[in-house]
Amino acid sequence: MGFLTILFTKIIIFMLKIAKKNGGNLPGKLAYKMNKNIIKYFKLNCPVIAVVGTNGKTMTNNSVNRILTQSGANVISNLQGNNMETGILSLLIRNSSLTGKIKADYLTLEVDESYLPVVFKDLRLDTLVVLDFFRDQLDRVGEVESLILKINEFLKTYKGNLVLNNDDPNVARLGKANPENENIFYFSVDKYKFASEEMKEAGEGKFCPFCSTKLEYAYYQYAHIGKFKCPKCNFGNNEIYKLIKNVDLENRTFEIDDELFKIQFNSIYSIYNFAAAITATSLYNIKTEDVKQALENFVLNNGRQEKLVIKECETVINLAKNPTGANVSLRLVNEDNDPKDVLFVLNDNVADGKDVSWIYDINFSNLNNVNRIITSGTRAYDMAICVKNSGFPVSQIEAYLDLGEAVKALYSTKCKKYAISNYTAIQDTRQAIKSF
Amino acid sequence: MKELKILYLYPDILDLYGDIGNIKVLKYRLEQRGFKAIIDNYSINDEKPDFKNYDIVFAGGGADNEQKILAEDLIKYKEDIKQAKDAGVFFLLICGAYQLFGKYYKGVEGNIIPGLEVFDYYTEANPSRSNRCIGNIVIEAELNGNKTKVIGFENHGGQTFGIEEPFGKVLFGNGNKFGDTVEGFMQKNVIATYLHGPLLSKNPALADYIIKYCLERRYNEVIELEPLNDELENKCRLQLLQRFLEK
Repeated sequence: MGFLTILFTKIIIFMLKIAKKNGGNLPGKLAYKMNKNIIKYFKLNCPVIAVVGTNGKTMTNNSVNRILTQSGANVISNLQGNNMETGILSLLIRNSSLTGKIKADYLTLEVDESYLPVVFKDLRLDTLVVLDFFRDQLDRVGEVESLILKINEFLKTYKGNLVLNNDDPNVARLGKANPENENIFYFSVDKYKFASEEMKEAGEGKFCPFCSTKLEYAYYQYAHIGKFKCPKCNFGNNEIYKLIKNVDLENRTFEIDDELFKIQFNSIYSIYNFAAAITATSLYNIKTEDVKQALENFVLNNGRQEKLVIKECETVINLAKNPTGANVSLRLVNEDNDPKDVLFVLNDNVADGKDVSWIYDINFSNLNNVNRIITSGTRAYDMAICVKNSGFPVSQIEAYLDLGEAVKALYSTKCKKYAISNYTAIQDTRQAIKSF
Repeated sequence: MKELKILYLYPDILDLYGDIGNIKVLKYRLEQRGFKAIIDNYSINDEKPDFKNYDIVFAGGGADNEQKILAEDLIKYKEDIKQAKDAGVFFLLICGAYQLFGKYYKGVEGNIIPGLEVFDYYTEANPSRSNRCIGNIVIEAELNGNKTKVIGFENHGGQTFGIEEPFGKVLFGNGNKFGDTVEGFMQKNVIATYLHGPLLSKNPALADYIIKYCLERRYNEVIELEPLNDELENKCRLQLLQRFLEK
């Protein structure tokens, strides 16, 4: 039955190719319909590395892929971010023989948090990376706590490598899910220039998950990510396996184990993604030189800090699908001293979450040299009202339901441009800007 | 300079659904008219607030398990809160705070979390955890005799019963229970509702209704509020009312 399913879906992929269509998750959807246990059928003889977390999955998975590829390995990954069960199935079908054999040195996957238990019920998993947990599309996903409990449950019987962000209490707590698992590797990032003593943006995990005491923070990097400890039970005081030091966003460098790494990104959350990728790949004896070289040239041209020049204006496009995503995007804006305009594109389609209340968790109080804020998307007015209520002058706010008009307005003046879009808006925003 | 004092309860815990936006809207609309907005925060371990010394007491919605932690804290002030309410202090309560001010909240397993018993309504969790009232909602409320459409977003598992004075009639969405005809609870100086959005962001008339009530109570005179530039809000309302009501 597995053979027939793969044969059938491979024919579909072939036909899609002739029709010059990609098909995305379609082959996986069909395979799943034909055989609910199809994942069992695939034979993998290589390590599987998976990345979960609310924000940063795509960037982390891409950098893991790049590091391993740099070392000369043959790596299969869902680089485009098709991270639900059907997307992962499509990837496996595309890369397997008819008998379900997958020839690769590594399989690296980003996986939607809520699909983790389903995907790995029958698929091998060697290293799991957990980045962070933030409030995200509450109407669709639900409260973050129920998601964490689901992953904690999965980890109770998991004995593979577990790479955890020790600066997020909700991630660090997962290290205690299975006391018998000795393969736990915590990473952390030393205080950066714009870290603060007070939490500046909406965050989670204010109380100790083990004794309900209020957690104490030495500093916050962004949102609730930072150096924390439970004053009562000492939760958080873990041995750090990889520590990133001397983060220099201006020169785009950082250090690990006294080695200097150069990168193309200048945001604190990217540093966490790299910390995760370096920690995960360090478990496979990759040469430091390969890691350095891979990261030095690594960019993502898919709306993640994507840089362009349009009509002589430097432009940065960034995806932000939840409060933390938007807040770290604004950090990029505010850590840049040049005058600039900012475009926000906010949709409320099903995949975005229909509730847009979360935009009031965006911190507009530190805006640095922003001339105008332009809004668009199906909820352009909601966004504009939010900006207005934050105190930004209403005469410098422009709202357009039509994205084309918004982009036209954006480039009506000469200065730097930042475009921040949520999930279903990001590709349209990229297209509209690129074709302007 | 005339001023209003707002007490914001548990801003660090009841912070999940952007309800802080209501405070921002009140502040904005007060300051634009030359009034001063004094906003005091209260949370666990803070000194006991003098409830009746405020014009508005506000609380929003939070995560389920954190809400339990603060329920134990707030219940200490039950009597002070009742006195403040009887004295005419305006209470704006959203979602979890709405539930908390009732008699009790009955969990899925039948466990009872006692409420402040300021009001007689009560809430029961929907037996299915995944089945919640989620979506855009439009209700019609009466503000000083004017019928006003109020736009928001609801996301609640709890079903609230025993409401005799609702906030409004449901035109689109669920309301206090699945498929209910009414939403929220309202008295002269109380609005308790499931509406996020945040509530006041798309409903400037409602924000002004609260501001007017509080200023008139505090200064004991008739106050006509100067109209503000609500162009963005009006466009937003037009767009959303068309989308939700004219299907």
